[in-house]
Amino acid sequence: MGKTTGFLEYKRKTESSLPVEERTTHYKEFTKKLRPKEVQNQGARCMDCGIPFCHSGCPLGNLIPDFNDAVYQENWEVAAQILHSTNNFPEFTGRLCPAPCEEACVLGINEDPVAIETIEKNIVERAFAKGLIVPKPPQHRSGKRIAIVGSGPAGLAAAQQLNRAGHEVVVFERNEKPGGLLRYGIPDFKLEKKIIDRRLEVLEKEGIEFRTGVHVGFDISAKELYNEYDAVLLSGGASVARSLSIEGMHLDGVHQAMDFLSQSNQRVSGELNSKKNEERKADILATDKRVVVIGGGDTGSDCIGTSIRQGAEEVTNFEIMPMAGLDRPQNQPWPFWPMRLRTSSSHEEGAERVFSISTKKFIGDKNGRLRALQTVEVKWEKSPKGRLQCIEVPGTEKEWPCELALLALGFTGSEKTIAEELGVDLTQRGNLKASEEDYATDVPGVFAAGDQRRGQSLIVWAISEGREAAYHIDTYLMASSSLARKGEGDLPRV
Amino acid sequence: MSLILESAEPREVHHFALLFGFGASAINPYLVNEIIRAEAEKGRLENTDPHEAILNYNKAVGKGVLKVMNKIGISTLNSYRGSQLFECIGINSKVVDRFFPNTPTRIEGAGLYEIEKEISRRHQSAFGGNTNLTSVPLPIGGEYRWRRGGEKHQFNPLSVAKLQKAVRSNEPQTYKEYAKLINEQSKQLMTLRGLFEFTNYDPIPLEEVEPWTEIVKRFKTGAMSYGSISQEAHENLAIAMNRIGGKSNSGEGGENPERFYRNQGGDWKNSAIKQVASGRFGVSSNYLSNAQEIQIKMAQGAKPGEGGQLPGPKVNKEIAKTRNSTPYVGLISPPPHHDIYSIEDLSQLIYDLKSANREARINVKLVSEIGVGTIAAGVAKAKADVILISGHDGGTGASPLTSLKHAGLPWELGVAEAQQTLVMNDLRSRVVVECDGQLKTGRDVAIACLLGAEEFGFATAPLVASGCVMMRVCHLNTCPVGIATQNPQLRKKFSGKPEHVVNFMYFVAQELREIMAKLGFRTVKEMVGQVQKLDRKPAIDHMKAQGIDLSPILHRPKVGPDVGLCNTEKQEHGIDKSIEFDIIAKAHPALFRKEKTSLEFGIKNTDRAVGAIISNEISKIYGAEGLPENTLKLIFEGSAGQSFGAFATRGLTMVVNGNTNDYLGKGLSGARLVVKVPEESTLVPEENVITGNVCLYGATSGEAYINGKAGERFCVRNSGARAVVEGIGDHGCEYMTGGVAVILGEFGRNFGAGMSGGIAYIYDPKGQLTENCQNPDLNLLLVEEEEDRRTLQELLQNHYHLTMSPLAQRLLENWESERPHFIKVLPEEYRQALQRLEEERSVEQ
Repeated sequence: MGKTTGFLEYKRKTESSLPVEERTTHYKEFTKKLRPKEVQNQGARCMDCGIPFCHSGCPLGNLIPDFNDAVYQENWEVAAQILHSTNNFPEFTGRLCPAPCEEACVLGINEDPVAIETIEKNIVERAFAKGLIVPKPPQHRSGKRIAIVGSGPAGLAAAQQLNRAGHEVVVFERNEKPGGLLRYGIPDFKLEKKIIDRRLEVLEKEGIEFRTGVHVGFDISAKELYNEYDAVLLSGGASVARSLSIEGMHLDGVHQAMDFLSQSNQRVSGELNSKKNEERKADILATDKRVVVIGGGDTGSDCIGTSIRQGAEEVTNFEIMPMAGLDRPQNQPWPFWPMRLRTSSSHEEGAERVFSISTKKFIGDKNGRLRALQTVEVKWEKSPKGRLQCIEVPGTEKEWPCELALLALGFTGSEKTIAEELGVDLTQRGNLKASEEDYATDVPGVFAAGDQRRGQSLIVWAISEGREAAYHIDTYLMASSSLARKGEGDLPRV
Repeated sequence: MSLILESAEPREVHHFALLFGFGASAINPYLVNEIIRAEAEKGRLENTDPHEAILNYNKAVGKGVLKVMNKIGISTLNSYRGSQLFECIGINSKVVDRFFPNTPTRIEGAGLYEIEKEISRRHQSAFGGNTNLTSVPLPIGGEYRWRRGGEKHQFNPLSVAKLQKAVRSNEPQTYKEYAKLINEQSKQLMTLRGLFEFTNYDPIPLEEVEPWTEIVKRFKTGAMSYGSISQEAHENLAIAMNRIGGKSNSGEGGENPERFYRNQGGDWKNSAIKQVASGRFGVSSNYLSNAQEIQIKMAQGAKPGEGGQLPGPKVNKEIAKTRNSTPYVGLISPPPHHDIYSIEDLSQLIYDLKSANREARINVKLVSEIGVGTIAAGVAKAKADVILISGHDGGTGASPLTSLKHAGLPWELGVAEAQQTLVMNDLRSRVVVECDGQLKTGRDVAIACLLGAEEFGFATAPLVASGCVMMRVCHLNTCPVGIATQNPQLRKKFSGKPEHVVNFMYFVAQELREIMAKLGFRTVKEMVGQVQKLDRKPAIDHMKAQGIDLSPILHRPKVGPDVGLCNTEKQEHGIDKSIEFDIIAKAHPALFRKEKTSLEFGIKNTDRAVGAIISNEISKIYGAEGLPENTLKLIFEGSAGQSFGAFATRGLTMVVNGNTNDYLGKGLSGARLVVKVPEESTLVPEENVITGNVCLYGATSGEAYINGKAGERFCVRNSGARAVVEGIGDHGCEYMTGGVAVILGEFGRNFGAGMSGGIAYIYDPKGQLTENCQNPDLNLLLVEEEEDRRTLQELLQNHYHLTMSPLAQRLLENWESERPHFIKVLPEEYRQALQRLEEERSVEQ
């Protein structure tokens, strides 16, 4: 709730970043901490709104005014308690969330919004530093066993919630370590992997079992899980990457962003080195190359920052949509999430951004290696039915010399192996079919949450889905549940 | 026998007020005490020790209960205890008869079974199952501030966002989504109207329904003063309502006369409704003359029994000017009107205001409560043109928490009761019935109309349309969207436009038209009171809604076909019989040529409010400036009726040789009033009462010289008039904020209570004042400074010259020896404000 006149007295302040030339020499996080007093002042800017729109804008329903007030009162322990009451992993969202809460902040109507995400990160980091985040194993065990497939933020959140309710939880992960995209997608400079390990240690001590390197559907059948456990939660993400069906896709030097990022993260962590030679795929490196990243989203940004750190000669970023304005579009007024130009820290590190551009074909040299790509400018027009249509502008074809092209085009849904094995339906969009009402699929006892149910989305949504699904699984097993829910009030996208 | 209650549950003021009201002698709220103790021991209460913290809590509760008692008008806990001044909503009579006998409960509702279920649910969440599942010890709740999963609020993030998007981008579809969020309450019941559904459909084509432009003429915006909200927000509402022929309301803060004139673009910032509330801030002849409707606020739905308050920091120079008060001095409206203690008094005020502007309708604002029907019948007989039934859940974010939740009743009950009583007594056709209190959609309006209302007030919704985001910090002056603030930096952030408000009214009217078409009404007039078109919704998924019985609301009195269900005729005010029309006919040289004119008339005590009509005529021609001083002198012989010199404006001098009744100089607006003992009389003026009670109530400027004693409540809420009187009754100068009162004799008990401005000079040769006036907020000083001496001497000289008062003569003749017997009464807050203004002036220079 902060100080009554705090917003009139203090300016917004968030963590600043190290200079580009310094931070791109390594893969570590590069923000500079605020002093506690500075964070407290940021808490003081919160206005104790009668309707805290931030609380509605946050998919987790974070009790933002309440932890802001606790920070302002220097009650860091209470702040951490309030924060964890709705968010299992504020250290992830505090670093990675695009903060829809801040877009919905009342102060943001006509001033810079409250630095909610910075406050969130500071609360949790302080709590860890002070040893306040300790394993809290359940006092009683229910005797029920739950298998969770996929250890991304949705799976982890569900695991912790269900374990708290006393169930025995086993998390299956096909990679070597848990974390999903947090570990294998997000570069270290945005989230150092020790941050994940720190939290996993707590989860393990609370009694959650992790079985890594186990690919459900291959190493163990989904049916087996289904028979052996009282409930199964599928939270394996939307891992089917969108591709292009254009000439030259097969060329050496055209790669999916996730292949590139995952390999880079494993290189940084040392996981790659420890792999046996036959397991290792060919290196995808941007070093000394001209890199084109196709796709202007967060994954695209991660490719840019990683390429620059690998020593790319130059990096260009394509986006098929026109450049958005800095201000909110009129049809997406406060407090709704606006599509506007966002410049990531990776963009700042030196990438040319090109908008309204579409890739026509990849051009190879005689050795089958990527040499250039050809593009055309596009414009967007409304069809008579009111749909936006992409129209190529004749005569705007252009060739871009490049040796590495990374496709960061988003994801088209869930992999199908487990779904087919268990008989879980998919939606038209390729996600597992389970409603937000109860997260249950049509197969009794099988639930779905996170990107695998929702389609590609934010970490904050994954955690939210994991928590909500946990409530419904608990209810399914025990007829009622005392697990916390966020309550209605999510702001829709307009 | 004393009843002592020990319980974990009491924690809010309302709980204590309720328990005392039903007879508890003492309450031990042990859980609250334990929580406070634990918090204090953890050092979370700014190092207050546990014992002290509990004492602080007790004090806060005590003050809260005191405030509740004060609203009801009870002074001691002993009188309040067991008073049972409650009405239940939603509890069945089986429970009420057994545990709360004789408490009204009109619509039945939950029984012991549902109550038990709720208790066991609470118990379950505290003691049942695994308790370490949530890591906040207690849920935040969301009673006063919205939280997910907490108390439901009709205005929540989505409904506010949708409404703002709809009106700003003029999107009918988005309005429909908003209206759906408000209207469909089957899953989360929040209002009585949520229980209704329309029935007896008899559809007609939409085109046959009267156009929206006709409907919005029945729409009004709520009484929110300039002061409580910013100039920008206030004018925005006025412009919008004037554009569509609806009415905005000044609220009780007066209005800058510049707003009375249309600007060149054709927009008009004038508030069609001018409110007259207990504070009478800025109520002058000119103000009233520029109204289309004058609203007497008897009470406020959201905080019945309380007056408005404007904290000092919000009273900037502009506001002080509009309210005729001093900058930085907080303004408190007294809970009651000091000129209304009975229905006859109200009738008198209606007559006074009708005299002050006979073209304006007089509107009396009542709150929904049990018995409002009887009151409405009385008000209709007292000749109100419009009766407003105000529901409980309206009101500003500045309402005290004790009033926000548990005071007042839904308008559904009040409108239904008023309609039924007025119809049964065949009074309904004489008055217009208006309804307000969180009307948000066309469906709300349709229900209010079917229950008996024909005009409709909106306050929160048009503010939300103008940018309000329900911060609920209206009292803190920190509104971040420039609405409820006077901070210039924040006022700049106001982004509302008249078209936003117009769009809102348009959307509501359109939604109403669609409902009218379905039900078969071509005009709102046809629709008023047609309760047979309403029924109870069959399927409502709410545990406590099952036992509710709406038939008392949906009752339609059986009356003959000639008894009207809506307003069809005008009240007979009898203004045309006033002697003032004769005066006006003779005063033409003064009125139109500003020629000094002196006229003599006889007067009797049935001649009421003399001076108001002629002042209205002067205001219409000359505005607030009036005529040059002393242009028209009217000398009356006889005994003047009530409200002599009411709202009398500048340029008038009104002399009575004889005496006057109550309310002399009510709302005095610049005229000079003289009441003196006739020359042939042998009475000693200073020993005899020459005028009645409540003189100069709400006077804003002018002078009064009273050659004798006055009754009680002299100069209450005076904000600018200068008066000399030779003695007064009790409660003199209460709530005074400006002007000067010279009292040359007795001054009664309770002098200067709530006085926050102005100066009183009291002749007190026996030194009794310090004994009788123990108000720590008042400075009692000797008349020593040059300015004080001059003022006092001048007023005494005027008094002597105008009335030939022997007392004044004596005092002036012995001035040097008598002067030390005068005490200057100077409110401390006023002194500080004057000092601050003086400092600001010297800085400017």
